[in-house]
Amino acid sequence: MDIYLPIAEVSVNWPLLVMLGALVGFVSGLFGIGGGFLMAPVLVFLGIPPTVAVASQASHVVASSTSGVIRYSGMKAVDYRIGGIMAVGGALGAFAGVELFRYLRLLGQADLVVALSYLLFLGSIGSMMLYESLTQILHRVRGETPPRKERRRPMWLYGLPFRMRFPRSGLYISAIPPFGLGVFAGILSAIMGVGGGFILVPAMLYVLRMKASVVVGTSLFQIIITTAITTVLQAGRNQTVDIVLSTILLLGGVVGAQYGARLSGRFRAEEMRAALGLIVLLVGIQMGLELFVRPGDLFLLAPGVAD
Amino acid sequence: MFQVLPPEPPPQIAAPEIIIERSASTTQEVRVAAALTDARVDVDSGFRGASIVLYGAVFNPSDTPADVVVVVRGPDAPVRLVKKTRSMGVWLNSRPVLFEGAPGFYMTASTRPLSDIADFGQLRRLGVGVDHLRIDAPEEARTVTRYGVRDVVISRLGEDYLDWRRAVIRLKEAAALYDTDPKGVEFVDRGLFRAEVELPAVAPTGKYYAEVWLFQEGAPVSVSNLTLTVEKVGLERDIYEFAHRRPWSYGVLCVLLAAMTGYAASRVFRSR
Repeated sequence: MDIYLPIAEVSVNWPLLVMLGALVGFVSGLFGIGGGFLMAPVLVFLGIPPTVAVASQASHVVASSTSGVIRYSGMKAVDYRIGGIMAVGGALGAFAGVELFRYLRLLGQADLVVALSYLLFLGSIGSMMLYESLTQILHRVRGETPPRKERRRPMWLYGLPFRMRFPRSGLYISAIPPFGLGVFAGILSAIMGVGGGFILVPAMLYVLRMKASVVVGTSLFQIIITTAITTVLQAGRNQTVDIVLSTILLLGGVVGAQYGARLSGRFRAEEMRAALGLIVLLVGIQMGLELFVRPGDLFLLAPGVAD
Repeated sequence: MFQVLPPEPPPQIAAPEIIIERSASTTQEVRVAAALTDARVDVDSGFRGASIVLYGAVFNPSDTPADVVVVVRGPDAPVRLVKKTRSMGVWLNSRPVLFEGAPGFYMTASTRPLSDIADFGQLRRLGVGVDHLRIDAPEEARTVTRYGVRDVVISRLGEDYLDWRRAVIRLKEAAALYDTDPKGVEFVDRGLFRAEVELPAVAPTGKYYAEVWLFQEGAPVSVSNLTLTVEKVGLERDIYEFAHRRPWSYGVLCVLLAAMTGYAASRVFRSR
């Protein structure tokens, strides 16, 4: 049941990969995230070179997000306008990120930066989400009325120029914050091989205060554009995209994403956020541990011999 | 394959001259001949590594027992290494160290442990055994800059050279790319021997060189050279070439394929 991957140059068990793709696709559809942050560590564990894993899973993210967006689009839950602005930022961020990643790889510091970003971003966002959603759940269980939420958006959102109307999100704000958010997600997409959904979703919810119903679909839409560009750039610049690997992953991924998206309506929003927060936090800690645990071998082969 | 060929990559010392000298001084002709079951290994979608049998014969009319040593080397490639160092409780990578060329695959198989067959100097001169394997390093340490990144090219004279060199070998051994088998050559009959070459799935593609050495009383008396080609074939080769020759179109194709699969899946699921 093994198959040889022509770019990664290793052979792997393909049914396992299909299952992994399906699982990550399911999580992706359920929470409206690309799911890349879950897949990269597993692929590396299976023996696929990290650079190939990061680049190839981006195209898996494209597939499962496409499938998710079409579904959310049918429910009128995608704000293409704000998503488009974020995507333009994402494209620029991806360009910068791929170049940065290339440089870090040659420096031999890519894995340090990847581990640090995972620990920092996933750790902080995961704990924030978990804390916020757990307090909410606790209030509900005790039958208390939740404390009145600060519904006001940060004032600086209104002070900026280029204000636009985003009717689907119920917003009338400057285009700069969503654009900046896109740039940031684009850079992360190249460095961590993730769509950036785990950053975008909370930022859209808590900072921009978009309507919760459109957040997931819009984030997926932005992810498609950013990761599509990342995939092309990784293939063109680093030749690290393995089409066989990504095809196997996405076969499982698209099916999983459909079931995930279908199921997402059945849970309360805060329960979903608690679950996602927990997953995010655990992955962040797991990746970050690498920095503190004494390595088995002090020496390490560094990739990226410039030819 | 039955004559004494000059080794294709000259194994850094004048090995053939020794043989001539030795053969001239002995009245009997002691020589070794060998062949591989496959001179070509095809890497296709089912590739999980390969096992190739090398078989050969020893012509030894003398009474002195002979030892056979098989050495297989894969294509040379530069190796970059980093060392983890602890700083403020966090493990960080050092500046990369570059070895300009190390075999991508290296194995020895012999009738006895190499140290019993020949002495240190002899093995070192022939480059036989992972401890004596030639890993290219310049005479003096210098730094090279590639794409704005400074690499330290390690010197063969530097004191930490041995640590780095051992690390290369250890890491390659862990990946099953380097191997030493002191009992890998077995005699199936008088004068007839076989050895197995195990290529892992991660073995690099390219040209491999096999040397079959015959040792008598600690000195090489004959050598036979063989070549082995490992290459990607069929779809794997096409994909690999496509990805490297036209990387941009390849990237676009990957994205289109992904988007279409996503679209198709949502169609299929909607109609249900």
